[in-house]
Amino acid sequence: MQHRQKLLHAVLYALMTLSLLWALVPILHMILSSMKTQVNMFEMPPRLFFTPTFDVYEEMFFGRGDFPQFLRNSLVVSVVTTALCLLLGVMGGFGLARGNFRWEKDVSFWVISTRMAPIPAVILPLYLIFSKLNLIGTTTGLVLAYTTFNLPFALWMMSTFFKDVPADLEEAAMIDGCSKFRAFWRVVVPAAAPGIVATAVLCLMFSWNDYLFASIFTGRGTQTVPIAASLLVSQSGIKWGQAMATGTVIIMPMLICGLLVRKYMVRGLSMGAVK
Amino acid sequence: MNRSWVTKLIVLAIASVLVLSACSSGGNKPGSGSNSGSSQNATNVNGNNSGDSGQSGNAGNAGNTGGQPSGAADSSDPFGGWVEGLPKIEAPEGFDWKQFEGVTLNVITENTPPSSGLAANIEVFEQATGIKVNIEQVNLDIVVEKAGLDFNARNSNYQIIYADPYQILSKQAKHFVDLNTLNNDPTLPSIPGGLEDFIQSQLLVGGYMGDKEHLYALPYDNPTMVLAYRKDVFEKYKDLFMQEKGYDWTPGPDMTWDQYYEVALWINEKAKAGVISEVKYGTGHQAKQHDSLMNDFSNVLAAYGGDYFEAENLGDIGTENPGKSLLTSPEAIEAAEFYNELLKIAAPGSTTWDWNGLAEAFAAGEIAMIPEWHEFAGMFENPELSKVAGKVGWTILPKGPKGRGNMYGGTSIGINKYASDKEIKAAWLFLIWATAPQTQYMILDAGFTPTRYSVYQLPYIQKAMNDPESQEAKEWPLASSLIAAQEAWKEGNVYMRPKIPMWPQIDTIIYTELSKMLAGRQSPADTMKEIAKQSDRLTGN
Amino acid sequence: MQQAASRPLMRKPKRNRTEFWMLLPSIVVLAAISIFPFFFMVYASFMDYSLDMDRPRFAGFGNWADTLTDTAFWQSWGRTLVYAGGGLLAQLVLGCAIALLLYHIPRFRNLFSTLFMLPLFVAPIVTGLLWRFLLDPTYGLYHWVLNTFGLDIQVLGDPSYAMFAVIMMDVWEWTPLITIIVLAGLQTVPEEPLEAADVDGANSWQKIRYILLPMVRRMIVVALLVRSMDILRYVDTIVITTEGGPADATKTIGYYLMQVAFRFQDIGGAASVGLTMLLASILMGRFFIKVLRSEEA
Repeated sequence: MQHRQKLLHAVLYALMTLSLLWALVPILHMILSSMKTQVNMFEMPPRLFFTPTFDVYEEMFFGRGDFPQFLRNSLVVSVVTTALCLLLGVMGGFGLARGNFRWEKDVSFWVISTRMAPIPAVILPLYLIFSKLNLIGTTTGLVLAYTTFNLPFALWMMSTFFKDVPADLEEAAMIDGCSKFRAFWRVVVPAAAPGIVATAVLCLMFSWNDYLFASIFTGRGTQTVPIAASLLVSQSGIKWGQAMATGTVIIMPMLICGLLVRKYMVRGLSMGAVK
Repeated sequence: MNRSWVTKLIVLAIASVLVLSACSSGGNKPGSGSNSGSSQNATNVNGNNSGDSGQSGNAGNAGNTGGQPSGAADSSDPFGGWVEGLPKIEAPEGFDWKQFEGVTLNVITENTPPSSGLAANIEVFEQATGIKVNIEQVNLDIVVEKAGLDFNARNSNYQIIYADPYQILSKQAKHFVDLNTLNNDPTLPSIPGGLEDFIQSQLLVGGYMGDKEHLYALPYDNPTMVLAYRKDVFEKYKDLFMQEKGYDWTPGPDMTWDQYYEVALWINEKAKAGVISEVKYGTGHQAKQHDSLMNDFSNVLAAYGGDYFEAENLGDIGTENPGKSLLTSPEAIEAAEFYNELLKIAAPGSTTWDWNGLAEAFAAGEIAMIPEWHEFAGMFENPELSKVAGKVGWTILPKGPKGRGNMYGGTSIGINKYASDKEIKAAWLFLIWATAPQTQYMILDAGFTPTRYSVYQLPYIQKAMNDPESQEAKEWPLASSLIAAQEAWKEGNVYMRPKIPMWPQIDTIIYTELSKMLAGRQSPADTMKEIAKQSDRLTGN
Repeated sequence: MQQAASRPLMRKPKRNRTEFWMLLPSIVVLAAISIFPFFFMVYASFMDYSLDMDRPRFAGFGNWADTLTDTAFWQSWGRTLVYAGGGLLAQLVLGCAIALLLYHIPRFRNLFSTLFMLPLFVAPIVTGLLWRFLLDPTYGLYHWVLNTFGLDIQVLGDPSYAMFAVIMMDVWEWTPLITIIVLAGLQTVPEEPLEAADVDGANSWQKIRYILLPMVRRMIVVALLVRSMDILRYVDTIVITTEGGPADATKTIGYYLMQVAFRFQDIGGAASVGLTMLLASILMGRFFIKVLRSEEA
């Protein structure tokens, strides 16, 4: 029995390593390539041991470029839109979950359906609205644009999570004299914190990764990192060194964020499975 | 319930923002122009886009090593940098270059060499006029979309627009200011050297639409397809080929497409047999399902005497209705059949490549001959990016039974009609400067090809172009392809695609069906018929 | 006076006022930014409206007729079925399989699952660039690997393989989402049923099939719903790699829409195509939600 166990474990580890390779080889290749010169980058089979050069990074961050600004814009926009949508979504999700409205199911569905509209088809009406409000090329405008897909997501996710938090919690607090609203903030929100964190991370990810909205609604000083990535493909060549470096940089903030909150994300996402 | 994770997140977010703000202010070195409208974004390795298309690391631009720049600006040369032999930027008596001080102009353009070059030198303009200029560079699709949206909203978010002749100018010419009124206005500066100084065929394509009355834009860049080939390979195996086939195979103006095919096939065989080791394939193409495929095919189409439509002036001033499709003509079908055969012996990656992929394969030393855009000369001569530096020769594309075609891909810049009067005049100053001969000379190291005759007359340029061993040529690698490009611009050699409002749809039809042909899904004859059918339906003929 | 949440009738008016006000801001904001675009889409689909026109003209069912009779439109939908269906299926199976794998590994589970999450954070546009870098015939790592195994194929240039490649990109990027969700669900499965099964002599497979999987069905459906919405809309990878080719092999409906909206600037046509996509998403959504709610019962 022991042998079988060990064999089984060995097989499992092998399979796991295989899956990890599948997921990580592209990323490893990207990171390694970002530290090679272009001519070396193209060498096959790729050299695993080489002297890394950080010229590309140096140029990106300290040279004559706007990459730090792109990074800053991406961060600011993602954080602000996530914060906004979380605030509205957490409150609204609670309302939807607890309100016992007759129309709850339909509104729920309407909410999530607003996220289904394909972007190229709604670009023009959104552009017209933003144009009238002078929001084109501004950070505010982009935040608002991202709200179109983050708010429904946050609202819907939070209502799903809140449904799993037992009502006794806030009722107990209310018996102690709190208003429902206070009870909500003091008791229910902490109880659902993992779910909130999970939703926040996903909203951050969706905003961070967007290219279409950013390409249309940003202007000279407000462009974001995905746009920087797309600009590397130009009429006179693809700057692969910078592409790989951009890719490496682009995953860092999200990676750090994800690692930090991974425990909570797992807990949060599993809340939905708790009966 | 621990809240420390909230604090962690917030601290992290604030820290990142602070660090990056610190970084970016470190990056904003004075005079680097990155604050004022420089769009030298992360895409430019050496800050002047010379990472791939010009010389790298050459701090002084070409304007400092040739000619005698008059240096500082003075009243006779408001921008400085004027060089002996070039027309001067002149203004009417008592004109105040700073009268539009404080105006902000937004430029939307594709990330092409002139845009990067201008962005890098934008302080010159800003200091002389007090006008702030934001140059926004994005991909061509996005330029088209944003320009379209801007015009539609009558907004003038962007005062200066990259007027791609086929996707923007052909449909939206009416939204551009008629530059003739500005050029003829006695209170404003006029174009230095006059309109005659622009390469005329380029002015026709880039400036007008449908008629020659209204000038909508000024020529800005002019990439052209020519033939790049490996000098070393053609030198080394010349005699062997002569023995086996009986003629001198060096690519040149006399080469025909049939010979091109034969040469390519021979190289394939010899490479496979191990006789030739320097390259793997004789020819390569940009045959991805992409605009590049239409460009590549058009060269062959023109060489066989075919064309897309029957209307007149299709390629220069353009027209609203192109008439019936001519692709069902025997010439067109013959061209398609030849193209199909040619691609069968081409490097197998051809169907995955647009012009970038093809250039990279050539620069990696895989292919002997490629029809490619001349601007890639900079990349090919850059040892950091290419293994074939010093080994590349350029000439015009081969001829066919009925002629020759070298696809032209240039664009111009124009002014948004919906801007305010003040903005329009300020924009006019920008246009004058951006297309001025001295400015074009200044941004040569950005991989830029001049659109002005006067620039080509300068001794520095002449030397660089005609003497490949000279210092000038080494400083300006693009010179090597320019002789070929100039030859390609001559009438009878150049090919201009139809300039019609529905070109984006037609273009898509053309390259989609051609892609199907190359994948073996339909015969060349059927492909041509299918394109003709769809195109006629679209144009209502 | 305990009032359980499941007895609404007596207390409804007073009880849910707070909730209503908490919900209102979200609804207002959402309505403000989504109602106009939706009605605009409907309006535009009946107009002959192109971006360079001064005034849109009424076209009745013109756009709809053009769209619905365009063979390319239907072909794109067909390809989308393959792309979305294949992609979702692959992500689901792989995601669950890897989650189960992680679940059964005694040690390093956290490390492995964290590492496995990485592809999720690569923006789709960068994913596209990265895969283009991997598959290019000149310098692509994967192309070279395929070559050394004797497979001399141009993945992105061959209609037969391009679709597979593009599905692979989506699967590569998004499988971790499914894995994380399913793993989380697995980790909260209570001990008792498993122990009871052990007592009954069940082996691992039976435990997986009859206990674990059913208990995480709800989370699987949540993941599927989110992914099904996005898989229709995200075309960044296709745009950067194959541009819908070769020979239209990867022109899904999302790419088709991009062409009509951005390249042809045909607002009316784009609206009609967009509405069909919305309809499809809604149908899929309703289906998944129904499955989800049947779990709640």
